[in-house]
Amino acid sequence: MATSKRASVVETAVLAPLDWIDERTGAVRGTKWFLFRNVPRDISWAQTLGSATLTAFIVQAVTGVILAMYYQPSTAIDPNTGKPVAYSSIEFITNDVTLGWLVRGMHRWGASVFVILLFLHMGRVFLFGSYRYPRELTWITGVLLLVTGMLMGFTGYLLPWDQTAYWATVVGINLNGTAPFLGPWLAEFLAGGPEIVSEALPKWYALHMLLIPGALIGLIVVHIYLVTRLGVTSPPWSSEMAGRERAASEPAAARTGLVRKSGGAS
Amino acid sequence: MARDRGELNREGFARYKDDVRKEGKPFFPYGLFHDTVMSLVVVGVIVALAIIWYVDADGTEAGILGPWYAPPAEPGTTEFIPRPDWYFYFLFYLLRIFKWPESVFIATVGIPTICLILLIGLPFYDRRRERHPLRRPVAMTAALLTVVAMGVLTWKGATAREALGSELVLAVPEWAERQGFADNAEAVRGAELFAQSGCMNCHVYLGEGNANLGAPDLSAIGETNDATYFVQYLTNPAAFGNNVMGSYAYLGEENLAALGEFLASSKGPAGD
Repeated sequence: MATSKRASVVETAVLAPLDWIDERTGAVRGTKWFLFRNVPRDISWAQTLGSATLTAFIVQAVTGVILAMYYQPSTAIDPNTGKPVAYSSIEFITNDVTLGWLVRGMHRWGASVFVILLFLHMGRVFLFGSYRYPRELTWITGVLLLVTGMLMGFTGYLLPWDQTAYWATVVGINLNGTAPFLGPWLAEFLAGGPEIVSEALPKWYALHMLLIPGALIGLIVVHIYLVTRLGVTSPPWSSEMAGRERAASEPAAARTGLVRKSGGAS
Repeated sequence: MARDRGELNREGFARYKDDVRKEGKPFFPYGLFHDTVMSLVVVGVIVALAIIWYVDADGTEAGILGPWYAPPAEPGTTEFIPRPDWYFYFLFYLLRIFKWPESVFIATVGIPTICLILLIGLPFYDRRRERHPLRRPVAMTAALLTVVAMGVLTWKGATAREALGSELVLAVPEWAERQGFADNAEAVRGAELFAQSGCMNCHVYLGEGNANLGAPDLSAIGETNDATYFVQYLTNPAAFGNNVMGSYAYLGEENLAALGEFLASSKGPAGD
């Protein structure tokens, strides 16, 4: 069959570059593998909490990058405002940058939403017993994501360098300091000395926007790969549960569906 | 003979993959649709919170979701109540339960570490294949207790009043009278700091404060050393072999000097 002129134009303009990339990276096959896989027919809203958490993280990443363009992690006194530079930059973001208040507000409240969603998502997985074989590693990376996410909240809290931030962090560092062996050392490193000093702020900033998010992104990639590879579980009370035990007389995967006609007895 | 768990697990997962392939629905667009709607809700909630927070507050003036920012950090102040973000309240309150020095470690490291190990190890000690919540009574009870405990601790942390510094400070004139430092303005200021900075969560002073934690009674501490020594001690207790007490260096030099003066003036009630 001869291809029309339009079809061949499309082919060269769109498909050829995609093929070229796919041949070298497998990216197209990977995307298809992710998008066009099947999931159990009985999954619904309860299973959206994971992607909702991811969305909250993306909001944090995007707003965080914008904030980083204006925020200055310095405790020196700004001669124009008479306040610490970090604090002044937060004031500037909130009051002067176009929609800066919105970006900062979203970052601030997105942190709480992110933490809540982490817990809800974990609760759903626990309720459904989805951490069982073969998804143990998915669960472990999830727990590590919960800890890393909480660390994001902890390190970000100091950055506005206001009274709330400062004193909350004093408490937090003292908590660290009570741990055996590494505790006092860690506390001193985080505080920049026996007390929280000006050198501490850039350290917390680096942890908050480089080290911990790096770890978080790495864990997210592994987590999502495992979820895609191992699949999502059906609700344990579903009569159509994927992988359900069957009576000997009932052939495997026998029901026909609205979504996709199945094989088996039909 | 019963087949072993590994075999049953693998068979179950093979059946799962088979069912998903034959009866499942494609993730795109069906799963992705739910995910997208939910994500839009999440972004909507975040934007709404940001707007309510911004509109209702004004600068350092708090609205229903708190102020835009508190006043700038000031290491020297003592009256400010330290409080972490709400999702750390449970930890914050644990610390108040286990506040005596020998047990602080339990609250800050012990309990969280145990919880974390239990959480990470969950798939390895809960190895039954049953997934239905109603047929997992132990797991569900444990989860319910955890949720209630976290909720109660968070609530208590949110409503907890800090050390009753504002009440203790009322006793300062009486202390000054009994210790005979009423004319020493620096020592009186130090006494106020002492009352407000949480010292009496562990120490006893003239019968006030916490007696059951093993920290020394400081009523006559001035007999032992001078102000300079106390300032050094407060700056870094660890240097004096005290690994229980934290550093108070954050109070700043002026405040530490006042505290040192107060401690040096505390030579025990006159006439004792």
